[in-house]
Amino acid sequence: MIKANIITKDDKYEGIIVKEDSDFLTLKLSSGYNINISKKNIKEIKKGSKIIESKNIAKEKHAEYMILHTGGTIASRVDYSTGSVIAQFSPDEILSNNPELKEIGDFGSVLVSNIMSEAITFKHYNKIAKAIKKEIDNKCKGIIITHGTDTLHYTSAAISFMLENLPIPIVFVGSQRSSDRGSSDASMNLICAARFLKENIAGVFVCMHENSEDNNCIIIDGTHARKNHTSRRDAFKAVNNSPSARVDFKSGRVELLKKSNEVVGELKVHLFKDIKVGIIKTRPNMFAEEFNFYKNFDGLIIEGTGIGNAPVMSFDKESEESDKIFETIKKLKIPIALTSQTINGRINMDVYSVSRKLKDIGLMGNQLDMTTETAYIKLAWLLSNHPNKVKELYSSNLRGEITNRSEQKEYE
Amino acid sequence: MNDYKKLGFKSGIEIHQQLDGKKLFCNCPVEIKKGNHDFEIVRRLKASAGESGKRDKAAEYEQAKNKSFKYLGYNGLNCLVETDEEPPHPVNEKALESAVIVSKLLNCKIVDQVEFMRKVVIDGSNVSGFQRTAVIGMNGFVEINGKKFGIETVCLEEEAAQTVKRTASEDTYNLSRLGIPLIEIATAPDMTNPEEVKEVASHIGMVLRSLNNCKRGIGSTRQDVNVSIKGGVRVEIKGFQDLKSIPKVIDKEIKRQLTVRKAEEKIPHVRKAETDFSSSYLRPMPGSARMYPETDVRPIIPNLSVKLPKLLSSKTEGLEKKYGISSDLSKELIKKGIDFEKHADNYGNVKPQLIAEFFITIPKELRRKHDIKFEATKNLTVLKKLNEGELTVAALPEVTETLARGKKVDYSKYKQLDDKKLKIELQKIVDANKGAPTNAIMGLAMREFKGKADGKKVMQILQEMLK
Repeated sequence: MIKANIITKDDKYEGIIVKEDSDFLTLKLSSGYNINISKKNIKEIKKGSKIIESKNIAKEKHAEYMILHTGGTIASRVDYSTGSVIAQFSPDEILSNNPELKEIGDFGSVLVSNIMSEAITFKHYNKIAKAIKKEIDNKCKGIIITHGTDTLHYTSAAISFMLENLPIPIVFVGSQRSSDRGSSDASMNLICAARFLKENIAGVFVCMHENSEDNNCIIIDGTHARKNHTSRRDAFKAVNNSPSARVDFKSGRVELLKKSNEVVGELKVHLFKDIKVGIIKTRPNMFAEEFNFYKNFDGLIIEGTGIGNAPVMSFDKESEESDKIFETIKKLKIPIALTSQTINGRINMDVYSVSRKLKDIGLMGNQLDMTTETAYIKLAWLLSNHPNKVKELYSSNLRGEITNRSEQKEYE
Repeated sequence: MNDYKKLGFKSGIEIHQQLDGKKLFCNCPVEIKKGNHDFEIVRRLKASAGESGKRDKAAEYEQAKNKSFKYLGYNGLNCLVETDEEPPHPVNEKALESAVIVSKLLNCKIVDQVEFMRKVVIDGSNVSGFQRTAVIGMNGFVEINGKKFGIETVCLEEEAAQTVKRTASEDTYNLSRLGIPLIEIATAPDMTNPEEVKEVASHIGMVLRSLNNCKRGIGSTRQDVNVSIKGGVRVEIKGFQDLKSIPKVIDKEIKRQLTVRKAEEKIPHVRKAETDFSSSYLRPMPGSARMYPETDVRPIIPNLSVKLPKLLSSKTEGLEKKYGISSDLSKELIKKGIDFEKHADNYGNVKPQLIAEFFITIPKELRRKHDIKFEATKNLTVLKKLNEGELTVAALPEVTETLARGKKVDYSKYKQLDDKKLKIELQKIVDANKGAPTNAIMGLAMREFKGKADGKKVMQILQEMLK
């Protein structure tokens, strides 16, 4: 970035050129304001000295507690001379931004990837799992993973399945308000996650705000989390489940809400393979050809309606297409599981004849309460690691993702 | 009398004006409500959202560590944007247009593309930890009595939440005010004496009131005056009661600066204007603003072909010339935003002077005499009746008082007596008071008719009768 004097046909301006596109040149004035000058109006630019820009250098540090960054900056800083927001991945930067972490434990950090979570793939899951294994091998006691919120719950489910006999807590943290702002939820989520790590409860979890206030974070089981709001701090809720813990930010007190199970056995890592699984959401006025597309996939999740229904049975002339849909699904020789668009509640394929029909042709999901997202991840993981036991294992509770009891308080 | 030139007197003004309509970055209505809030949200702000200077960070961190902010919100007035749970919506186009209009009226150059910035504010008055602000116009001027005074910038920004309570551990804010559009006008330090400061402030105020969406009421306009003299520190004075007090407060401040020992006062600071024209210390002047782009709002190319409203100053002259009403009444009518021309047109049979009095003088009188409020604009029926001859001027005091007290008016009571009836009644009075002087009979007659007859007409008929 350079200091410059810009002369237009009406006026002259002095400042720092912070950016430029085809039509406008952005100048930062001494007042702090940016002004955008139309290039058409510029008569002369007198360039001055260069401004040394702050750089983002990701340094690594390994410690007993680790922060693994995958993206969705939990720590960023503003360089006010240029107005740019700089991601901070270095341990010393994160620690100086969140001094409370030092009080909690010795934290290190590593940059695993820097990706917007909507673009994440199974390959990234493998990268993250390998990074986690590396830290556990280094005697790490707990890990915080920073992640974009959009698909955070997919990754937390993936990591849950990938790490068998996980001996330490892994907590996923995101932020709904970018961390360059004073109101960001990033710090509080990070610090509450750190507090929970100290409880030493093995498993994969998600830590985000409990409500719109800055009082508590909730710790949600990694296979039962879902992002339920585009923008609110408390977007993440436990689905068909209740939170595992509550952390009071001010006091740092962790309130455990569930009993934890002991971990037996050695840690094993099961990676994802190049598997194609689709998710199709049923709706009024569907067509058989939509299902036909998945004939070359390895698996399919049908996100149906209600308690486990899909348009696979006709009732009159106008709904004839449903019979065609049923025939198409029958022809798909791949594992298929049913979930519900209602998000909340348990699937029951015995109640309606339409779902009994689907059960009869081998569709999985009966009596299960997994979210569509967790079901998708589980199916893809099973196809990667236990391709011959998919049906048996899909309905078995492997990581706490299936519960056989639904509590009243889980839906409020 | 101060020799301001010798003192090295320099002064500049900053004016903030609220706009009516919708908020700047969402569709909530502009309405300030107090008390009986619907919900509360408690938050903390991270003081050092990243900046160099370890000592500053530590200090700010300590300061912010234990402080919480309680926000009081109102259903229907506050949405997720005000609770920092949703990104800003695209900027309010009417507010942007108003800022462009003001910039043009102040002879500024309008920026080619408007870019909103985040101005860091960590006292809790902005839920997000920053105020959204953009510069719209630059390097303009106002000309008063042949002298030009520079206008440095015209900015469009969000109003902050209103402080309700401050304690050591928690500050409480009212969210209804947050997000109201503000036009901020900053002048160059060109004023060379306090009178000029008052005149410039007054002129800019008049320009702002020429907008049709300029919010009215206490607190909708705020003036901050920067003052410095040679050898003294720069001081900003806020909270003026009215424009008239500005020169007095400035003079008192100059006196204070001249008497205070230089060694004691080195830090530029902010002061509050008091009712006795003195000012009291508030806090040190904040350092240069920390700003960075508001990337949630796309930069906008402003529409320059806006229709400029007539300035109030020219509108006032217009009324005086066209309708022959006094300058004072004209000013009041314009100030109150009364569409006088429309009323003069609609009620063509009523004298413009009377229409003007109906809107201005009569309500004033009722307030003064009976301490009751008469809303002229809500009682246009009265003008209609006057226009149709169903009401006389004499009846106005009683009719308006009745309406002001919230009672219904039976207009038939005031229906004018026709000439025939008038003559009959008048004859009765004359007969009953043979020999009484004309004026006495007039008095009796007017009391009897109680506004149902026009005084001039009565006199006319009486004089004819008594001939």
